[in-house]
Amino acid sequence: MTGALPLSLWQVGAAAALIVLNGLLSFGFGLGLEKKLAVATLRTLVQLTLLGWLLLPVFQYANGWLVAAMGCAMVALAAREALARSSRRTRGDWGTTTIALLIGCGSTAVLGSTVIIGADPWWTPQVAIPLLGMMLGNSLTGVSLGMERVLTLLDDQRGLVEARLALGATWWEAARPVAAESLRVAMVPILNVMSAVGLVTIPGMMTGQILGGTDPVLASRYQIVVLFLIAASVGLASVAAVLALLWSMFDDAHRLRRDRIQRQPQR
Amino acid sequence: MTPSMPETSPLLRAEGLAINVGGRRLLSDLSLTLAPTDHLVVVGPSGVGKSSLLRVLATLDPFAAGELRLNGRTPAEHGIPQWRRQVTYVASTPPPLPSTARDWLTAIAALSAQRSAPVGDAFALASDWGVAPELWDQPWSRLSGGERQRLALAVAVSRRPLVLLLDEPTANLDPVSVERVEATLSQRTCVWVTHDPRQADRVASRHLELG
Repeated sequence: MTGALPLSLWQVGAAAALIVLNGLLSFGFGLGLEKKLAVATLRTLVQLTLLGWLLLPVFQYANGWLVAAMGCAMVALAAREALARSSRRTRGDWGTTTIALLIGCGSTAVLGSTVIIGADPWWTPQVAIPLLGMMLGNSLTGVSLGMERVLTLLDDQRGLVEARLALGATWWEAARPVAAESLRVAMVPILNVMSAVGLVTIPGMMTGQILGGTDPVLASRYQIVVLFLIAASVGLASVAAVLALLWSMFDDAHRLRRDRIQRQPQR
Repeated sequence: MTPSMPETSPLLRAEGLAINVGGRRLLSDLSLTLAPTDHLVVVGPSGVGKSSLLRVLATLDPFAAGELRLNGRTPAEHGIPQWRRQVTYVASTPPPLPSTARDWLTAIAALSAQRSAPVGDAFALASDWGVAPELWDQPWSRLSGGERQRLALAVAVSRRPLVLLLDEPTANLDPVSVERVEATLSQRTCVWVTHDPRQADRVASRHLELG
């Protein structure tokens, strides 16, 4: 690596000025998005700046436990984010989501770091943390779509699910079509990305590496590996989340417990 | 309440049932027995808990107190899916099915609780009730309410449950079809909810008055 070109605070400020343009557009067309835009801009600025300052010591000390703590915090935040905009919630879904993301993203990030990239030690923060971040960013979309679909289907198709139960279906026999449909929905975004990648966009990580001076051929190879890891993590995390959620929606007597669904006020 | 039955061994027995809906006590201390080929018609004003009673008998909803037995054994002793195969609830409005009635019949026949069960001919039943055979392969969404009701009922009845829990099974049917469906069901054991007092008089071997 030849290293990234230096970027001063003035240059960051210049980019921020572009957001003002968005604000003027919103004002001009009466979209009423000024406040949301300001908050989102501020969040981007604060969150990424904090992340940079937080990663600095984690990278410097290169301590396995520190990396593990950072990883767990990232998983917990991703779980919160995955549920933040759902129209329906259930009790304990945050725990379910956290565990699903931990299984799906933790395992693939470790696999990627050890077997495929061969980092030494395997938890090298410069490899493990960005990998985990990319797994989480994509998996939280899949998990969130899958879980939302499970609850929507159970709500809308209660009659169909209960008709199966009434004729002697076990909870799993009654729920399996819901699981299949929800997992299909969960996998759509990552499948779209994998089909369109390189044709329409240069993915973020590859862009970053190229801007950072990496040979494009090597950067594309890294990107391929990462996409496959992401696809695996989305699949694993979505399966875990959808199955755990479905299981929690039926009781010991193979009854659909729609009363466990809490509708959320829409913002 | 029910007049007491002469003690032929009851098929289905409920003792001291209490049913809560949404935290409110809907029915309490309800007992009933059902002997083979009995037709127990449940009557009472809307909202009194007729459908809830059927759902509880099918173990689709929990009950707050009491006991259910089929041939002397509780739902847990039978295993819940086995209980529901033998005590089958048919909703008043069939659910929107994803494809055709034939696919539904195939899916139900493949359930683990249904696989080794003795079965009748669903196609013959539906045909007796005036449903044209080609309707089995029509998309469910294109069928009329009456066609759906007869097809869904034919699937349930063909699985030969010991007790049928019927929630207004002929609500969408013309008088000729109603007569045919009643004729078939007269040979089965049923708990039957109807809002039609003349139907109640025709089919009931006993009444259960709620409310």
